[in-house]
Amino acid sequence: MQELSFDRLDVDGALGEAAERAGVMSRGTFLASALGGTAALLGVSTEPAAGQGASDVAILNFALTLEYLQSSFYTEAERMGMLRGRAAEAAKVVGAVERAHVKAFHDVLGSKADPRPSFDFQGTTENQNAFLKTAVAFEDLSVEAYKGQAPRLQGNAALAAALSIHSVEARHAAWMRYLFGVEPANRAFDQPRSKPQVTRVVNSTNFITSSPSTERKRMPSFTG
Amino acid sequence: MEPKTRARDGEAAAGPFPLPRGSRRSDFFKRAMLVGGAGIAGAMVAGSPRSTDAAQLSQPDLRALNLILMVEYTEGAFYAEAIRRNRLKGELLDYARAVEAQEKEHLQFVRTALGGRAEDEPSFDFGDKTGDPDAFAAAAGDLEDLAVAAYNGQGTNVSPETLAAAATIVSVEARHAAWIRSIVGEPPAPDALDTPQSSDEVLDGLQQAGLRR
Repeated sequence: MQELSFDRLDVDGALGEAAERAGVMSRGTFLASALGGTAALLGVSTEPAAGQGASDVAILNFALTLEYLQSSFYTEAERMGMLRGRAAEAAKVVGAVERAHVKAFHDVLGSKADPRPSFDFQGTTENQNAFLKTAVAFEDLSVEAYKGQAPRLQGNAALAAALSIHSVEARHAAWMRYLFGVEPANRAFDQPRSKPQVTRVVNSTNFITSSPSTERKRMPSFTG
Repeated sequence: MEPKTRARDGEAAAGPFPLPRGSRRSDFFKRAMLVGGAGIAGAMVAGSPRSTDAAQLSQPDLRALNLILMVEYTEGAFYAEAIRRNRLKGELLDYARAVEAQEKEHLQFVRTALGGRAEDEPSFDFGDKTGDPDAFAAAAGDLEDLAVAAYNGQGTNVSPETLAAAATIVSVEARHAAWIRSIVGEPPAPDALDTPQSSDEVLDGLQQAGLRR
């Protein structure tokens, strides 16, 4: 897997075009803002209105929570060592990607990043069938969540990054569905889900536990 | 320089729904969803495409949608020809049939959003890519990747309403890309980010893949 960095978004010049059209900053600055650098995203905002930055921060933290959920899920599944064949390989590859997404959001949010909650995956990381079923559910949900939030992002760099992750989650969804044995693309249009809808689904799993984790001690909360 | 429709931070976008300065993107989105009156947002909210207000589409939306239309024309023609030539079997045939039907819906959706401002369908010469199963699988992967890159590349150029509508399609294209790779045993999602591509890059990519004259 390639390292996640804004250079990967720079191959084609699409972002550069957008930056030039916007006429706000040099191409390099714009790309640097897309992903990476401490609080770079907030630096994109040329408006003094703090409310807009706050809105993007809330959205990015929502996405970060979903990435925490997924990265912990795949990492634990890999560590448990109960998966076989292509599912084991998929868990490894997708886990690495989800961890890279977490890191990217941390780079962008800096001290504003919410801490990782602790999880209890209720045995779904220890059984091939339960693992795949859960993976399908979470990848599909993740696609719906990004789709619901992307148009609400105020900053173009944040939007470009969210879109680049959104379609990767869709690839994961199709991959996991294929491995689970259901049609990877079963309709022409994927619909979005709102934050409350997504949160409801996540809460219904009881995967997020309230007890503080050891990770939490290493990453103090600045959520205030 | 073309007027932009996607708002820079804090600026009102000029789109099908002109709003007062200072409105936020989320407000546009909300309004687009609620009003659902024009162009592609109307098509999405209504659940079936309508062409009533294509004339209201801004220049950047028109440009982006016509690029996307070109990609959808290519996909539609590619899968239809592959099925017509009848050389696919098993999983590849299942894939082609399902995807062909979905691409047809995408094409109709984008075409309807553009209304009379839709560019004409070009002619294609796919050669053996719609006949030979291995060539088909390779070309389908290229094509779906280019579609994802095209949609992602236009995401920051278009109005929030068009973005919301396009987002319902791009993830389906990404699913197709991962599906065909799964069938042939290639990595379905090798990268952490899908790199967006500019309009020129997408058109060049189609040409290099032998999918555009």
